[in-house]
Amino acid sequence: MNESLETSFVKQLTDHQNIVHKICRLYTNNEEAHNDLFQEITIQLWKAFPKFRGEAKFSTWAYRVALNTAITLYRKSTRTVATVDFEKASYFIKQEDYNPEEEEQLKLMYQAIHQLNDIEKALIFMYLEDKDYSEISETLGISEVNARVKMNRIKGKLKKILNP
Amino acid sequence: MMNELDLLKKDWNKQTKPFPQLQESDIAAMIHKRSSSIVKWILIISILEVTLWTAISLFFNTDEVMVKNHTEYMIPYFKIITYVNYAVVAAFIYAFYVNYKNISTLRSTKKLMQDILKTRRTVKYYVWYNLIMIGLSAIAGFVLAFVANPQMQKISHNPKAMVITIIILVVFLLAFFGIAALFYYLIYGTLMKRLFRNYNELKKIDL
Repeated sequence: MNESLETSFVKQLTDHQNIVHKICRLYTNNEEAHNDLFQEITIQLWKAFPKFRGEAKFSTWAYRVALNTAITLYRKSTRTVATVDFEKASYFIKQEDYNPEEEEQLKLMYQAIHQLNDIEKALIFMYLEDKDYSEISETLGISEVNARVKMNRIKGKLKKILNP
Repeated sequence: MMNELDLLKKDWNKQTKPFPQLQESDIAAMIHKRSSSIVKWILIISILEVTLWTAISLFFNTDEVMVKNHTEYMIPYFKIITYVNYAVVAAFIYAFYVNYKNISTLRSTKKLMQDILKTRRTVKYYVWYNLIMIGLSAIAGFVLAFVANPQMQKISHNPKAMVITIIILVVFLLAFFGIAALFYYLIYGTLMKRLFRNYNELKKIDL
C-alpha cells in the first residue's frame, strides 16, 4: 500500500471519525472497549480502503464496514490500546441549552438502547443516522418490508423499557 | 415515545462535542496495529486444525503396519488411497482459501456472516473427513491384522482376548471423536457464540 493512499485514508477517517465514535458508543459500555472497537474498525476500514473508489461518500462507505465490524467481527480482546483521554463526565450528553428534564429523558433513552441486541442497535443506529429503509435493508441483508416491521417492533420494545 | 425518539435523534445529530477527537497521527498509528477480529482467529484456528489433523493422519504409517502384519501385497492399494487423500487435502485447503478471500466487510451483514460460517464449515468438513478416514483405517487395519497376523489369529480363537481387543479399539476411537467434539464445543462456544446469536436474530427478521 503506498503512502499517498495511507495519507488520504488517514485524512478522511480523521474527518469522519464521529461515525465510528457513534458506533463504538452504541456497542460498548466503557472507554477501554470503546477505544478497542475504534481501533478494530480502523484496521478493517484500512483493509477495505483499496476497494473504495470514491463512487459513494466516504461516510456512507465507512459506516457499513464499521457496523459490520461491530456486529460480526469484533471480539473483545485484552490487548492494551493507546488510550485517548475521554472527558468521562460528558460521556453521554452535553448540551449548551441545558435542560435537566430533557437530559434525564435522554439518559434513559441511551440506557434503553443499550439493552437492545446487536441487530436492533444497528437498526436504531441507521434510523438515527437518517438512512432510508432501502439502505437499511441493503446494509443488513434483510428485506425492506421486514426492516420496517422490525423497526416498529424496536420502537415498541424501547417504549416498554422506558415505561415498564 | 415518539417525542423521546425525536429528542434522541436531535441529540444524536449534534453530539459531535462529547467525542474526544483523534488526531491524524493517532489514526495513522492505529492502522498498523494487529487486528483481533474473529475472522483472524478463524484463520489461525483453521490452520492449526488442518496442521494437527494432517499430522495425525500422517502419523498412521500404514506401510509399517502392513509389513508387520505380512500384508505387503496391500501396500499399492494404500498408496493410491494416500494420493487420493493428498488431493482431498489440497482441495479442502483451496476451498478454504477461496471462502476466506470472499469474506468482505463491504457486503451486507447477513452475507458477511454467511461467508464466515461457510469458511468455518469447510474446516469442519475437513476435520470430519480426517476423523472418518482415521476410523476407517483403524477398522481396516484391525480386520487385516486378523486375516494375516498369526499373533492376532491366536486372539481371535480366544473370546476373552477378542472382547478386550475390541473394547480397546472402540475406546480408542471414541476418545478420538471425543477430543474432536470437545474442540468444537470450545471453538463454537467461545468464538462463534455471538456470531450465531446475531445471525439467528437477522434470520428471524426475514421469517
